[in-house]
Amino acid sequence: MELFRYSRSIYGGSDQLIGASWDLLPWFVGAAVLVIVVHALLSALAKWRARHSA
Amino acid sequence: MDQITPNRRTAGGAGWDRVRRHTLLDRTYHWLMALCVIVLMATAFLPILGIKFEWLDIHWITGVALAALVLIHIVRALFFQDWRNMWIGWTDLRELWRDTARLLGSRSALALPGKYDAAQKLYHLGVAIVILAVVGTGLLMLLKIDTPFWRRNPYWFSADTWGVIYVIHGFAAMAIVATVIVHLYFSLMPDSWYLLRAMVRGWISGKEYAQHYDPSRWKA
Ligand code: HEM
Ligand code: HEM
Repeated sequence: MELFRYSRSIYGGSDQLIGASWDLLPWFVGAAVLVIVVHALLSALAKWRARHSA
Repeated sequence: MDQITPNRRTAGGAGWDRVRRHTLLDRTYHWLMALCVIVLMATAFLPILGIKFEWLDIHWITGVALAALVLIHIVRALFFQDWRNMWIGWTDLRELWRDTARLLGSRSALALPGKYDAAQKLYHLGVAIVILAVVGTGLLMLLKIDTPFWRRNPYWFSADTWGVIYVIHGFAAMAIVATVIVHLYFSLMPDSWYLLRAMVRGWISGKEYAQHYDPSRWKA
């Protein structure tokens, strides 16, 4: 997986850095979904525990 | 707490009736900023995802609007509001630790926060960093495009420096997508509906104030 985008030089020089790689977008979305799922599971568990410990 | 609209007491004097949380100006700021961020994300990422249209003009004009909004917010927050409401101190770090422990099953007592709790402050810090990164680099990138007001002048920076500027804009942009998704989850959760309502109407009820806040840390 690429982290960056490069442009190929038509003159055969070294590649030029031009920006971030958009292949990473799904990973950012995935990280956000992971935060949500972990929080939802933990708070459901905390509520369940509170109800069953009274 | 602003002085513009005093909090109202109920007729019976049984505590506060309404506690003002955000002035009209701050609510307008919040929703205009949200609108700008949504337009900026859509104009930036829909073309990348294959939905092609003339995105650049809408993008940079909205970007300049967001830059102005953020500048107004920072001036207001530092000089007209109480910046300590958003300051992260040792108490907040301790609270964050305790809240996480409670989520993991510890039975430590719940301490009521000031106007913003530790997680909100940390979130604000994260949002501030990525938005300032995208605004700072975005303003520089205006030099790379033709507009009715100026011709492009890419020679201010070397090609390598431009590469780094675009990398920062791109990474911050993708991080904003993640922060927006997380923000939607936390603000739409039933537990925090009273906060969402406060960002619309400006106030919370006296009951919500007593239930969720320590009056010595957020003086209404
Ligand atoms: C939520 C905020 C923003 C997001 C998600 C975002 C996203 C993006 C993305 C993904 C690109 C394509 C970059 C590339 O090709 O490497 C881009 C380009 C651009 N952005 Fe933003 N941006 C945001 C805010 C801003 C702001 C605040 C400004 C200006 C003040 C701005 C100005 C520009 C300009 C001028 C370009 C085009 C540069 C070019 O085509 O050469 N952006 N933006
Ligand atoms: C150096 C930069 C910044 C500083 C010093 C700052 C400071 C503050 C402070 C002190 C508050 C609390 C106001 C109060 O209720 O008393 C606040 C609220 C807020 N900030 Fe920032 N902020 C900064 C950057 C940003 C950025 C970049 C954004 C996002 C674009 C942002 C979004 C918000 C929002 C949505 C609120 C809640 C609105 C409200 O309670 O009135 N802030 N900020």
